[in-house]
Amino acid sequence: MRPRAAILTVLACLLLAGLALLAQQPPAAQAPPAAPQQPGQVTLELNRGAQARKIKIAFPAFRGQAGSPGQELEQTVRHDLDYSGYFEIQGPDALSGLALSGDVQKDLAAYRSTGNEVLLLGDMRMEGDKLVFEGRVLDLGSGQAVLAKRYSGPTTVSRRMAHTFADEVIRFLVGKPGIALSEIAFTSDRGGAKEIWVMDYDGANQRRITSHRSTSMSPAWSPNGESLAYTSFFNGPPGIYIAEIGSGRKRPAVTSGSFNTSPSFAPDGRHLTFARSMEGNVEIFTADLEGGNLRRLTNSSGIDTNPAWSPKGSEIAFTSSRAGNPEIYLMDSEGTNQRRISLEGTYNDGAAWSPEGDLLAYTSRRDGQFQIAVTNVVTLETRVITSGPGESQSPTVSPDGRKIAFTSRRDGKNQIYVVDLDGGNVRQLTTEGSNDLADWSRSVPQK
Amino acid sequence: MSRKWMIWTVVPALLVLLYGCPKKKPATPPADLNVETTTVPAPPVKGPEVVQHVEEPAAPQVKDQTEDPLTSQDMQIVNSELQRRGFSPDVYFDYDESNLSDDTREKLSRNADLLKSQPQFQITIEGHADSRGTSEYNLALGERRANAVKDYMKSLGVADTRMRTISYGKERPVCTEEVESCWSQNRRAHTVITGRSNVG
Repeated sequence: MRPRAAILTVLACLLLAGLALLAQQPPAAQAPPAAPQQPGQVTLELNRGAQARKIKIAFPAFRGQAGSPGQELEQTVRHDLDYSGYFEIQGPDALSGLALSGDVQKDLAAYRSTGNEVLLLGDMRMEGDKLVFEGRVLDLGSGQAVLAKRYSGPTTVSRRMAHTFADEVIRFLVGKPGIALSEIAFTSDRGGAKEIWVMDYDGANQRRITSHRSTSMSPAWSPNGESLAYTSFFNGPPGIYIAEIGSGRKRPAVTSGSFNTSPSFAPDGRHLTFARSMEGNVEIFTADLEGGNLRRLTNSSGIDTNPAWSPKGSEIAFTSSRAGNPEIYLMDSEGTNQRRISLEGTYNDGAAWSPEGDLLAYTSRRDGQFQIAVTNVVTLETRVITSGPGESQSPTVSPDGRKIAFTSRRDGKNQIYVVDLDGGNVRQLTTEGSNDLADWSRSVPQK
Repeated sequence: MSRKWMIWTVVPALLVLLYGCPKKKPATPPADLNVETTTVPAPPVKGPEVVQHVEEPAAPQVKDQTEDPLTSQDMQIVNSELQRRGFSPDVYFDYDESNLSDDTREKLSRNADLLKSQPQFQITIEGHADSRGTSEYNLALGERRANAVKDYMKSLGVADTRMRTISYGKERPVCTEEVESCWSQNRRAHTVITGRSNVG
């Protein structure tokens, strides 16, 4: 074939392939592609069995050279997949005993021989000042590539590239959204005053959001992840402010009166629910984002505080000391039907919802120590998932409902830790200064 | 025009029929898939100075128009003089309680007499809590403690308009060890002269 004819042939083939893929694209609204359409797809039991057992994945070293951004990218993909809890990963060391030819199609049996079901391959290189990464997942049964993605961008986004690919792999193989692009807001006093900070879900990229040089606390994500409501003393009495993450702009939200604290965004993103002082007692109110349309939701002789909207928006969990000790209550979003949820422990406070709206995690005092308890709001079945000394408190649930971030001073100072919902796999995310009041973003921000 | 159209459509189609699509190189993994390049953009650069720029300036702590803020030196002098005459700046509470004990009521009664004899001064009652429990609950508890003192002072004849409350919860401890002897010092309401009334 002459060169020109060859080019035309290739173009035609690409066109045909593109049309075929277009025809196979699921509708945009259909969220997790549980069953990919390509022939030779990963079998369905792999997808569905993810909860019960881990998917065995061979993960040899990435090919190509992209310097330290490339190394960071590979490490981050490894960490993300491991941390997700869905996979049992065989890395380069575990694979070193295999007799591999380097030709993937010939090596399928070798990869399979150690129990692996899928093979993850990565290629990375620099194109000018751009980092280019191609990730592939192969079904070791059929030898077919079932997922392939290419990313390109400045070297500064290598972690983000890795998180994006890891979430794609999880979405494809498990059928659930990953959390690698989610973020955690928290308070930190490193640098002196207590300010609002944000970090990536794995503790990387910790950055300060406020610089009021006063006391700022209780960060609460907006549903779209674009802003944080928080409490600050910088103007005297504690008031509620909103920080826009993108622009860095701060503005007052609810600052009338002497005491407005503990904000929680309603799922509509247009209202805040919070604790406000009313004739000397603290009650739960709701208002719009400018502090207008103020409405009172509770009216008890005790303290009512720490409201948390359910993900579906029909209920609000809160803390009340109306029965003597602080306990977790639920009410309908209009303030009606107030009922107690926590039945064990002498001090229960600070409820946080699971994204499915079925569980509440909260601080529970057990045998004189604060621990993290989780209660099913329907059955009221309760589990305590932390143990020992160290005052574990102020939990927040990850967007996939599988992890809980919380505060503990088990190592002397308050730090943010993450634990799996079953109490295992504890990791420390912060080390600098004293850190507290984590709030996990509800969804991955669209950037 | 029509000739060019032929070259880009019919000719390639014929070539595909004739030669088939080019074979993949055997060394590369199967890439016969939807490899779409996603450009991952750099996040917007936010230097600390940008954040600084948009930050709202900290406003003065005392905003009430009817109040003449004393200098910190003036305040120290006034507060220590009051204490010399028997004023108790701090009263203490039991764990998770905002009730006033008999001992506390006695102290507040003496405080009320002194304040009534010095009607020119504005006071602030701070509510504090120990470190146990969440920051949010302790803020609410501090608010209750400060207001319990304010309400009692009011019942003893101290004008409502002279008193301001603020809760600091567990954010401003006087003692930072995690022992009861320290916690008990932090469960307090702290009354302090913060200004002078302009009225009269």
